[in-house]
Parts: sequence; C-alpha cells; structure tokens
Amino acid sequence: MHVRIISPERSIFDGEADAVVAPAFDGEVGILPRHAPFLTLLGQGALTVKADGETQVFDVEGGFLQVVHDTVSVVAEHAQAREEGTSS
Amino acid sequence: MAKTRELKRRIRSVENTRQITKTMEMVATSRLKRAQDQVVGARPYAQALGEVISNLYDPELEERFPLLRQVKEPKQAAVVLITSNRGLCGAFNSNLIKAAKSHVEALEERGVTVHAHGIGRKGIGFFKYIGRTWTTERIDIGDRPTSDDAQGVITPLMEQFAEGELDRVDVVFAKFNSPLSTPPTILTVLPIAPPAPGAVRQKGKGGGEGEVEAPTTVANYILNPPAEQILQAMLPLYVQNQMYRALVETAASEHGARRTAMKSATDSAGDMIDSLRRTFNRARQAQITQEIAEIVGGAEALSG
Repeated sequence: MHVRIISPERSIFDGEADAVVAPAFDGEVGILPRHAPFLTLLGQGALTVKADGETQVFDVEGGFLQVVHDTVSVVAEHAQAREEGTSS
Repeated sequence: MAKTRELKRRIRSVENTRQITKTMEMVATSRLKRAQDQVVGARPYAQALGEVISNLYDPELEERFPLLRQVKEPKQAAVVLITSNRGLCGAFNSNLIKAAKSHVEALEERGVTVHAHGIGRKGIGFFKYIGRTWTTERIDIGDRPTSDDAQGVITPLMEQFAEGELDRVDVVFAKFNSPLSTPPTILTVLPIAPPAPGAVRQKGKGGGEGEVEAPTTVANYILNPPAEQILQAMLPLYVQNQMYRALVETAASEHGARRTAMKSATDSAGDMIDSLRRTFNRARQAQITQEIAEIVGGAEALSG
C-alpha cells in the first residue's frame, strides 16, 4: 500500500509500506494493506511506517489521516521524521 | 582633457552599479528557486485538505459552523495586505498596494468599516504615508514564511470572524503564476467559499458512517469522529493553509520580481556603459587628432 505523509510545508514521506501505526485523536490506529476507506483526525504522537522490515518513525501533530484506494494519506499540521530507530 | 576624465569616472561608477545589480540578480535567482520549491511543496497539503473538505461539505452545515457564515451585507471587513520587507523589486509592491487601496476604497464606498492588517514594511510604510492606520502590522515575517507565521496572522482574525466581529476577511497578495507573472490577487479567506460542488455527501446521523451520494472520488468512508467534528477541525486548517499559501506565493513572487528588475537594471547599465565608452573614445580620438594637428601646424610654422 502507498503511504504519503504531508505537512503544510512539504511532502515528508512518499512510498510503499506494509503497515502504518498512527496516533489518532482517540488512540492509536493500525492500518494494513487493503484497509477500508477511512478518515480520522490525528492527535499528537509517533507515527510508524513499516516497510520491508524497516521501521521509520515520524512525529506528527494535528491534521487528519485518510485511507482511500489502498493509499494512506497522513496530512498533519506538524510532521517531522524522527532521527532514530531501525528495527525489525 | 577634463571631459575624458569625467567620462572615465562615470563609466567606472556605472560599472560598479552593474556589478551590484548583477549580484542582486543572482541572489534573487537562488532565493527564487528556494521559494519556488516552497510553493510547490505546499501544494500536496492544500490539495489533500481541499479534497477532504469538499467531500465532507454539506450546504446544510453552513449554519452550524461560524467559519462558513455568509453575510449578505458585510459591515466589518478585515483586509490583509502582504508586501515585501525590501524594495528594489520593480513595481511589485506598488502593484500590491494599488490593488489593496482600490479594494479598500470599494469596500468603504459600500459602507463597510475596513480593518487593515499589514504584513511587510513596504505596504505598511505607504499606507502610513497616505494617513491610514493599521490595526496590526507585522514586519517580522521574512522571505521564508512558515505555517506558524500564517497561523499567527490568521488565528485572531478567525476568532473575530467566528464571534461576528468581522463579516469577511480578504487577503491581498501576489499570486505566483510564474516568475514573470505575479498579478496582485484578492482572495476572500473568510467566509470560506463553499468548495467545488459535485462532492456533496449525505451525512449519517451520530455514528457518521453515512451513505455517500455519488461522489466520484470517494468510496464509503468510515468516519471517526463524525463528519461534523472532522470539519470542525479541518476548516481552521484550511483557512490557515490559504493564508500560508498567500505568504509563500508572495515571497516567491517578490524574488521573481526582483530578479526581473535587477536583470533589466543590469542590462541597461550595460547599454549605458557602451554608450559612455563610445563617447569617451570619440573624445579621446578628437583629442589625439587635435594634438597631431597642432604638432603638424607647429612643424610647418618652423620649417615654413
């Protein structure tokens, strides 16, 4: 599935992934490929993107998350890649 | 003799000026590149946001969201004028100022009280000069505006609008079509214009996982929280983003305008140097000819 992470300034991540765990407004949501169309508000916290056994972590705050046509769009008010963490 | 020395001095001075304008042109070019990237980088966000809002939008919601309140006869309006902090960019700022001035005058003719909010030294300076007062003025937003800057400008206005103290908010900025085309543009940020039709959805009560009526782009969304709450959160972001884009586009336009202005200044300095040099050469040649004539005349007189 395709994942895009977008902040007001620029697109931060754009690529394929196997799983996404995002901080929604009321708790974490995990999204796997072929998720149903989904729209939720984001809270604040760490967003993890897993692809090929690699994990990338982003700090996000505000905005929303949208899943449609097997594409996850994370549109956050603030988003930043975190400088650490590669594990299986 | 005196004339050639004078010419030489002028040539040198114009050459110096050309050096400066050329450097400024190069600086503007590199900044333009960066600003252009920023404009392009802001696009996906705006697009995604607009898409979601137009998917959730429902004309019936209008009354429930203060930010969508349409006022037939506005009485209080805010006009935000974005200009640059620095000059030497041709007619860029004066175009913006002209657009803002006529817009404000048009509003006032209709009996609207206008609250002016200025961003950028140039616009602020001019309006002060013609004796207008600013409700707020900001000169701290540089040529790399952030979305926090936009937030700082628009949030108070949004609050005032929501409370009914303002009936509309317009932004005067330079739209960045290309580095050469930066027309001053007036954008009505508030009330939020109803997004493009065609994506009107039927809203399910409470749970919010409503049935969708024929919008082409979207399937059945699972909404959590319900559409209303999502819109509640999205609308301010949308307004903020419009403000941010206005700032970014104006910054890019400024550099485009400056590059053009500096390029033509460099070119005309070159032309000026050419013509000065021709005059100089002619003067020098005339002097040599005259000296030869004098020598020949003198020799003739001796031998004669």
